[in-house]
Amino acid sequence: MKGIAKSLMVTLSTFTRKPVTRDYPNYHRPLPERDRAFPLLLWDKEVDEPFCTGCHACERACPVECMTVLMKDNPNHKSNGGDSSRRKIIDKFWIDYARCMRCNICVEVCNFDAIAMNNTWQGHETSVHDRKDLVMDLQQLLAQSHGGAIKEWVPTLGQANE
Amino acid sequence: MVASPQHEFETQDLLINVGPQHPSTHGVFRMVLTIDGEVVKDVVPYIGYLHRGAEKLCETMDFRQGIGFMDRTEYLAAHNAELSYVMAVEALAGLEVPDRAQWIRTILCELNRLSSHFMFLGAFGIDVGVFGTPFIYAWREREAIIDLFEEISGDRMMYAYFRPGGLAWDVPLNFKERVREVLKSTRQGIKDFDELLTQNEIFRARTEGIGYISAEDAIDWGMSGPSIRASGVALDVRRDEPYLKYADLDFDVITGENGDVFDRYYCRLMEMHESVKIIEQCLARLEPGLIVPDKMPRMLRAAPGEVYIRTEAPRGEYGIYMVSKGGNRPYRLKVRSACLSNLQALKQMSVDQYVADAIIVLGSIDIVLSEVDR
Amino acid sequence: MNNSLFGFEINVWLDALARLGLIVGVMTVVAMGLIYGERKILARFQQRIGPQKTGPFGLLQSVADAIKLVGKEDLRPNAADPWTFELAPYFVFIPIFLGFVSLPFLLGVNIRLFDLGLLYFIAVSSVNIVGWIMAGWGSDNRYAMIGGMRAAAQAISYELPLVLSLVTVAMLAGSLNLKDIVEGQGTVPYIAWLPLAFVIFFISTLAEMNRPPFDIPIGESEVVGGPFVEYSGIRWSMFMLGEYASLWILSVLTAAVFLGGYSWPFGEDLGRGYQLVLMAAKSSLYIFVVFWVRASIPRLRIDQLMSYSWKILLPLSLAQVLVVGFVRVYELPDIFLAIEGVFGLIILVSLTGRAVASNRRLPGAARTMRSEAA
Repeated sequence: MKGIAKSLMVTLSTFTRKPVTRDYPNYHRPLPERDRAFPLLLWDKEVDEPFCTGCHACERACPVECMTVLMKDNPNHKSNGGDSSRRKIIDKFWIDYARCMRCNICVEVCNFDAIAMNNTWQGHETSVHDRKDLVMDLQQLLAQSHGGAIKEWVPTLGQANE
Repeated sequence: MVASPQHEFETQDLLINVGPQHPSTHGVFRMVLTIDGEVVKDVVPYIGYLHRGAEKLCETMDFRQGIGFMDRTEYLAAHNAELSYVMAVEALAGLEVPDRAQWIRTILCELNRLSSHFMFLGAFGIDVGVFGTPFIYAWREREAIIDLFEEISGDRMMYAYFRPGGLAWDVPLNFKERVREVLKSTRQGIKDFDELLTQNEIFRARTEGIGYISAEDAIDWGMSGPSIRASGVALDVRRDEPYLKYADLDFDVITGENGDVFDRYYCRLMEMHESVKIIEQCLARLEPGLIVPDKMPRMLRAAPGEVYIRTEAPRGEYGIYMVSKGGNRPYRLKVRSACLSNLQALKQMSVDQYVADAIIVLGSIDIVLSEVDR
Repeated sequence: MNNSLFGFEINVWLDALARLGLIVGVMTVVAMGLIYGERKILARFQQRIGPQKTGPFGLLQSVADAIKLVGKEDLRPNAADPWTFELAPYFVFIPIFLGFVSLPFLLGVNIRLFDLGLLYFIAVSSVNIVGWIMAGWGSDNRYAMIGGMRAAAQAISYELPLVLSLVTVAMLAGSLNLKDIVEGQGTVPYIAWLPLAFVIFFISTLAEMNRPPFDIPIGESEVVGGPFVEYSGIRWSMFMLGEYASLWILSVLTAAVFLGGYSWPFGEDLGRGYQLVLMAAKSSLYIFVVFWVRASIPRLRIDQLMSYSWKILLPLSLAQVLVVGFVRVYELPDIFLAIEGVFGLIILVSLTGRAVASNRRLPGAARTMRSEAA
């Protein structure tokens, strides 16, 4: 009987504690900067174009093959009178968020730091009514970075920070 | 007409189908119970509902890509699952892991053991029939640990943080303080559980003497982890074949004597105290340093050969058997899953028990179906 | 018999209809309030918030649930027996509502006061077991059948201690009229004279209502809801309504019979307002304890449940009846009863403790190195 009384006391003491519930849709917990939602593309603000050159590195490294990349000649390249140093640039890019397993490999293989994992709540709240809507095109992938709504975290692999 | 005095009731055994959709099968597990009244006469388990061919998939992936799949075989203790995999790759590729990476790995694996055991305690509490309270308590503590993992690796369950050679990236600067903070709440959580369940007479009456398995049988079935230690076999890979930094650490292997459900529960609870102890020692000895070897090859290639690496995951021995024929992907990969072996003893443990007990016996071996089916 | 309802003289049939409407209306509202209360209180026991989105503080949650349930399709399994299946909810729900008739809420506020009110209550409240068996048997589901059988066994076993503990009250009061029983406690409530009977009564009511730790027929983690497993929509909500209605009725009965109802401690002259507050406080105390027990205690197993009733509760309540008889016949002082009650309680606690006692060694640091030996 002592044990039962003890159990009752534990729950009673919990009764007086403050609830730990996070009132989720109303309150968004601040996410750590390393948080990984789905990958998105970054926007180069200096020359006003995407960082991505469409080199297919991430497409080849993706374990679940959720990416499709097409590249084109950069119309803004210096040889064409533009101010960009990118000879090639991304033409079309699709990521199927329904397939993506958020392993971070695309970010690691990218030589141009052009792709990053979304670390905002917007990246987590992607529910849609149709799976087709989870296939993101270039516009959608760039939107957040273009609007300056993201402070991305691109890891430097294997580097000690102390 | 006089009824024959020898007349007896004609009784018939009843088959009930527990799962795959049943609240206490911990995933998609199905067992068909043959019951006589309330007593279980036979148990036929069916597995494979969650088979995704993770091993075969990994054979088509290079070593880095495989890590993500290993996470998903053991989603409650993904760090531990990754650990076996990356250790196998390191053994084949001949990589030396720097000290700092090893200490951090040890801390994360033990934290993951804590979170996994909390999950067990919560689910077991529901199996035994406390309405949700232990489950929510467990969730509360697990949440703190998982938040920490998120700050370190970026993901809450599928970390993909251990890499062949060390770690993907370094831990945040406030790592030590954050771990200590989490441990503080964890200790309180363990205490809550101890008081809520361990001494409770009804809980004792429900769990003691149920689902007995002797040490010999447990060894014969190939059980491992807390499930076998409860039967009195002091089998712990961390101590018997120290990997990472366990050789330098001081901790006890918890064993029971009775091999019943209560001992399996209590072994886990005590193990959590040990894990806290281990993490504190690791924190004291964690020094700045490298997290991958100095001469890390740009392209990871394994030497031909085969290797079997076993580590102590929360549910028991999680082994990886990897065959390499050179190149950057395994030729053959086999996961030795602790849950699958532990589950084999289910029939022996639950026959001739009550239906309600068969449920808690299943709960007490703490299966993760994705690890059973892979 | 007078046919006046709140002072209006009306036709007998109209009167009966009005009273019926009152019962159903009040009961439904109270049950919805109780469901809300239970969810809120259980949530706090688990450090959660509970419903909070529907209306201010989630107050409309029960209304929303009720609308959803009424709007749902009323499914009947193909192989279920149509009549048994569809009538079962009424057999659960109507007897419970009938129990409402004789309860003394406040002085002069009740549906009908019988001279044999207590007897009537006991008789009516045990009818609902028929509904449970019908639900279990009629739905052609094995979980439901096991649940129904368990419910029958449990209700029969716990009916006896429940009735016997009420018998002692009737013996002390010298009447079966609930009004007399309440007024007999003007100075000292019967819980002071009959602590043992009260505890036995409390435990038995938990079992009668199939509340934890006696929720074996429902057993979410074993038989997934027992008799209700095939029900949906309005019929399922009738079971729920019945469950919460019986919780409220038993709380009022406990308050009236053991805690002095509306009279103790201020007497009957303070007016309806005070009586309402008093009654509400007493019955909410009972309800709170029921919720509290639900949040903290695991479920018993069916054999433990039965043996607890037959081997411990029943003999003790019989002894209690005997002692009260002696005291009444030989006109011993009442204090004798209180002393006996306290002794009885000690016996109950020690017997309960003995029934589950175990002096086993808890698992601890490895004492044997069995892994080397084996």
